[in-house]
Order: sequence, then C-alpha cells, then structure tokens
Amino acid sequence: MKEKPEKLILKVRGLSKTFPGVKALDNIDFDIYRDEVHALLGENGAGKSTLIKLLVGAYKKDEGEIYLNGRKADFHSPAQAFKNGVSVIYQENSLIPQLTVIQNIFLGMESFTRLALIDEAKIFQEYNEISKKLGFKLPPHEEARNLGVAEQKLVEILKALIHKANFIIMDEPTASLSKNEIEHLFRIISELKSNHVSILYITHILGEVFKIADRITVLRDGKKIKTIPTKKVDRKEVINMMVGEDLKSSYLAKITKINKKKKTVLKVRDVQRKPRVNGVSFEASPGEVLGITGLTGAGKTELTRLIFAADKMDSGKILIDDKPVILHSPSDAVKQGISLVPEDRKKDALILILELYKNLTLPTLPSFSSKGIISSKKEFNIAYRLIEKLDIKTSGPNQVVKYLSGGNQQKVVISKWLQTEPKVLIMDEPTRGIDVKAKLEIYNIVRQLAKSGVCVIFVSSEVPEVVSVSDRILILSKGKISGEFSHGVGQEEIMRIILEQDK
Amino acid sequence: MKKINFNAHAYSIKKNGILFIFILFCIFLSVITPNFLSWTNILNVLRQSSIIGIMAIGTTFVIIGAGFDISVSSVLALTAAMCVGLQNYIHWSLAIFIVLIIGSLIGLLNGFLTAKIHIPAIIATLGTMTIVRGLVYLYTGGYPLYVEAPQFAFIGNGYLGPIPFPVVLLVIMVVVWQFILVKTRFGRYTCALGGNKEAVRLSGVKVDYYHILTFVVGGLMASMAGVVYAARLLSVTPLAGQTYELDAIASTVIGGTSVSGGEGSVVRTLIGVLLLTIIANVFNLLGVHIYVQYVIKGAIILSAVGFDTYSKFRE
Repeated sequence: MKEKPEKLILKVRGLSKTFPGVKALDNIDFDIYRDEVHALLGENGAGKSTLIKLLVGAYKKDEGEIYLNGRKADFHSPAQAFKNGVSVIYQENSLIPQLTVIQNIFLGMESFTRLALIDEAKIFQEYNEISKKLGFKLPPHEEARNLGVAEQKLVEILKALIHKANFIIMDEPTASLSKNEIEHLFRIISELKSNHVSILYITHILGEVFKIADRITVLRDGKKIKTIPTKKVDRKEVINMMVGEDLKSSYLAKITKINKKKKTVLKVRDVQRKPRVNGVSFEASPGEVLGITGLTGAGKTELTRLIFAADKMDSGKILIDDKPVILHSPSDAVKQGISLVPEDRKKDALILILELYKNLTLPTLPSFSSKGIISSKKEFNIAYRLIEKLDIKTSGPNQVVKYLSGGNQQKVVISKWLQTEPKVLIMDEPTRGIDVKAKLEIYNIVRQLAKSGVCVIFVSSEVPEVVSVSDRILILSKGKISGEFSHGVGQEEIMRIILEQDK
Repeated sequence: MKKINFNAHAYSIKKNGILFIFILFCIFLSVITPNFLSWTNILNVLRQSSIIGIMAIGTTFVIIGAGFDISVSSVLALTAAMCVGLQNYIHWSLAIFIVLIIGSLIGLLNGFLTAKIHIPAIIATLGTMTIVRGLVYLYTGGYPLYVEAPQFAFIGNGYLGPIPFPVVLLVIMVVVWQFILVKTRFGRYTCALGGNKEAVRLSGVKVDYYHILTFVVGGLMASMAGVVYAARLLSVTPLAGQTYELDAIASTVIGGTSVSGGEGSVVRTLIGVLLLTIIANVFNLLGVHIYVQYVIKGAIILSAVGFDTYSKFRE
C-alpha cells in the first residue's frame, strides 16, 4: 500500500457482498482521509446502504478488508462499531422518546458517584463543555419526543461525540430538515471536521455535496465508478456518473406549461385544524399543477391530510366542482375524486408484505370483483399495464412490494390511484428518498397527469422541484397561505420569501 | 434486483414448511405404527380435529387481521349450552340458527372494542371471555345440561356414507373459508389490514368494518364449533371448551399464519390442527405422560412462532 496508513481513517480493499442472485457490492476499494467530509453518491440500489452496513457490521462481508485507523476492523454488530468510534446517524431517528436530551446523549456513558448513583452534576458539566464547543443550543432536560426532527439529529451527533466517535456516517441527514436547519447542520459538520471527526455523508441532493464535501465517491450497480475531489467536477458530470447515461439535467426547462384559465375543480375554504393548520383557502383547476411549499412544520402534510379527510378538520369547507362535499373518511374523499400520495409511503401507503398487484388494486378492488369475488386475471392485466406505463422496475405483479426500491415503490403508490381516475391528486413529498432518475420520472408523470386533465397538488419542501414542476405555487407558513406565485418565478425569490417569513 | 427469487424461495419454505413436517411425520408414524394410515385411524384423527379445526378457521381470520381472540372457548361453551338448553323450547334447527347469531354478535362486540374503542385485542377478548364464561354459569346454573334428540345428534355422531358428519362439515368449512380468504374482497382486505391498517384506510377502504368482520368470523366459527361440541357429547358442562382457544391459536400459528398479521391460510391451519391431534394420539399410544405432553406442545408452539418471528427479524 502506498498511502501512509495514519492518513487514512478508513481503508477498504476489495470489498464484495453477494445476496442470492445479486452482486450488491463488487470489489470496492475506498478510502476516507482523516478530517475529511466524504460524500457517497449513487442511485437507489447502487450499493450505498450495503456498504454502510458492511462497515458497521450489520452485514457480514463475503470478501475484502476493512481497516479503521490502520487496524483491521471486522465488526460483528453496529453496537461494536459504535464502541470503536464509528457512529451512524440514520434517516430515522433512533433516540428513546421518553428520555431527556442529556439522558439520551449519555446513555451507556453515564458517570457515577461513589454510591453508584448517576452523577448528574458531572454529566451536565460535560454536556455544557461539548455543546459550547460546537455551538449547540438544545434544551438539555427536554424529552426527546418533544424535539423537532432537526434537534433530534443534533442530539444524535452529540451522542456520537460523547461516545468518542471519530468517524460519523450520516445517511441522508437532511431528508426531513428545512433550509436553515440544513445550514445549521452544515455549520456543525464543518465544526466537527475541525475537531478531527471524519464524516461519510450519504445523500441524493447534489447541491449539498458541493457545499460540504471534500471528495465524492460514486457507486453504481454495486461498483465504484470514481472517487474525485469535489473541486474537480461539476454537477452534470456527477449526475452522469450516477445514472450512467447522458441525462439531460435540465429536464425541467422542457416543461410545456399549460395554464389555461379553466373552471376550478377544488376549492378549499378556511380549513382549520389547530395548531398546525390555521385557516387555509385556495382553489385549483383541472390540468393544473399547484405547488405548495414551505418549511418543515409549516403544516403542509397536515393540510394534505385534511383535504383527504385522513384527519378531521376543526372547521372549513371543501368544494368539488363548486359543490360543497362533506368528507368523513378517506373513503368519502376517494368517492369525490380526491387521492393522496402520502409523505411516508411505507407507513401510510403500502402494505409491504403483500404483492405489487394487491397493492395496486387496493383502492379499486370493487371494480375487479363481482359479488365480492375477485378476478385475479383482471387484476394482473391492469398490473401489467401500469408496470409498463410507469416503467416500474419489478420482476412482475407477484413481487412483494418491500423488495422494490424507493422510487419504484412510489410509482406503485401513484399507479394505485391512477385507476380511480382522480380529479384531484395530492402528492406529499413524492420524491423524498428516491434517486435522481426516479425523481425525473415522477416529474414527468406529474406533468402527464396534468396534461390529461388531473389537478395535481404537488407538496414539497424542495423549492427547486416545486418551481420547476408547478404552474402555480402557494407558500405555506405557520399553517397559513402567505404567498402565491404564478409560473415563471425564480426559486431564489421563493426561497427568500420563505426564509424571511421564518424570522 | 434478482434478490426476489431468493426471497420468494424463503417465503415458500416458510409457507410450506409445515406441510413437509406434516408429511414426514406421517411417513414416520406409518412405519412405526402399521395401522396409522388405516382408513379408520385417519377418520378418527379427522373427527378428533373437527371441533378445534372449525374454531381455528375463525382464529385464522382474526390473526391474519393482526388481531387476537381468546374469547372463543367461552363462546363455544355458551353456544353449546344454549344450543342444548333452547331445545326444550324450540326446534333444534332454530336453536342452531340462534346460537350462530349469538356467537357472531359476541364477535361483533370483540371487533367493536378493538377497532373502535382501540382496546388491544388480547385485552378486549380477555374481558369478553370472562363475561361470556360468567354467562355460561348463569345460563346453566352451574350444572351440566343434557339433550336427547337423535336428529341433532347426527351433527356430532352421524355418518355421511363412511365419513363422520363433523369431518364433512370441517372439510366444507375449510374449503369455503379458504376460498373467501383468497378470492374475495373481504379476504383481501383482511390480509391487507393485517399488513398495514393505516395504509388500507388511506386507500379509501372502510377498514374498521372489515376489521370488525374478522372478529365476527371468529365468533361465528366458535359458535359453530359449539354446535358440533353439543351434538357430539349431547351434554354441556359450564367448563366446556376451556383452553380450546389455546389449541386454536396454536394450530393457527403452527400452520404458519403470521402472528403480526397480513399472511396466513386456512388450509395450513387445518394441517396445524391435524398435526397437534396426531402428536397427542401418538404420545398417548407411546404412553407419554400428559404432563410431559404439555411441555412438548409448548415447545412446538414456540419453535413454530420463533421461526416466523426470527426470520422476519433477520430481514
């Protein structure tokens, strides 16, 4: 080996992992320098999560060597890796909700007094030192369940540091953070860097990579494509490395905006559900993509759930085709032609253990059955058609949904609503956690649906995608509409307004 | 992407493992006890399995819907007692009709408490189990009830050709309910809501209705088992059917129905019932003490469920 081992915090050589039938990682060589922020990029299924799981011992490797600080590291479990200074911050929070910030941070690392009691004073002092050093302001005695997502992430970072982590893996840490929460996180990452903590940063969002990463490694189909200093590449090159074909990065410029003034299909009148939704009114037309954006916590998800009658509203009215409708449950909403692609597809939209076709036909099962008896043949025909129409990558209608990638799962959720021929399709963060290519496909689907006369309500906290997909944009802040823009507005303009409102 | 094949494969082993074990066990037994595969013995095993078997069909629906029902043994006792008692006043066929409705209504109550009041199913049915057992004592006054009605007795003791009627009934029920589970909307929604109730609700399905319906099936099949029980013994004590719910649940989970809901099969539950019956028979033949039998039965339940839950955990 030419590299001096002490320069490397992590050295991976010839790492391979095969699952029956698929080579998930193929002979990977990979280094992370000390005090470096290293971004790991790749589409879903590229092998990113397999790599992490091998590093921390959640999976057993087939071949290859992993060295940590120059020493061979064969961890049996993430717990062992954690004890050896390797900490993973997952997309989902892994704090114990009933424990306070301090209790979570020091879990397993408590100092004790001579009477074997927990030494609260000493712990508190330690906490103050480290949080001052990194510029954290967290309420130390608040229970974790009362914290926002961003704060919980910070608690996890602190926990890692208290446990003497010198290598932190962050798996899409910004997935549910707002713009300034993200910036705060970035400041902390550079702070960590100067405190000699190396970071492996996994993300789908290219903008972030160029802001914080020193080097980038791109994986594709289980193989390493390249490791390259961030300064030496641009966005387009990275996208090409990830998708492996010359994908037009500016799909968005090609959208043909249709915004003919038609009659309205959906009217929302002063809808309220305290404390998150405080009186929202708007209208939307057939064939229109109405974007709704705003910070995390602005009430976007809550609003979509009210319109779909997943939650009960305190007050307000919904009109479909100018007729007031009373919706007691999602089943009423579906009958009125409203559909919802919810934010959390695994929890709220899919039955992961069931086959694809059963998920597809769930909302429309009566139309596949007579006298209660289902015709599987009809189901399969539709399933094949939708798989083809939306280009769902699957072994067939019989595949169990949990084995599909995120993007393909999302397509299943969208296609299950297509057969209901919705008048209004609400999509809440439809591109969350899916790869670049699938995102573009989803944008295309959205535009096609609009073209066919569906009113699509596209809810997202990613301003660039809202700007490029929507015909019209509403900004939601603190449960109220605080701005409206028609097509043509720049994303900087919208960002500025959202951020100003936050003050 | 080709992961699928492996998973499908593992799935089928899990699904059909019970069948392999069952067949192996039968081959083994037919070697050591030559008359095991005799017609008489097979019918005997089937008849012994019929009451638990009918009850376990309902249990299967409840568990696939991610529920749990321990009240079925009390329901069996109440409906059996009433089926006998009512015959003093009305025709036996009407008595049967009434107790089937009573069983379904108790199931409806269980479903309502679980789906609408959100009491965890095991606690809700613990409550109704206790209440219904109390009703059995109230109804019987604490004494056994007897009935003499040859036509009614046919249900428990009669033969259709060479085959005992309870066996015919069991087979018909298994076929019908397996069809309902696999081919009907109710069956599909049962699996779906057991897998993820919120996702089904947000797909616009009236999910509480179907959730409650699974408990109604549980109550209905328990009362049907009660009818067969009454017709078989022609007497019902207030203690009738105690611990039957455990056998029904055990057979269901040994048959591979997932304890976390979403997947399962009536046919496999039947195999689970048969397996437990045969094991008990063999142990009796071999002179294994009843106390030891309990220990082994418990171990079988734990290994069956453990296999399911641990393989899910590993995923």
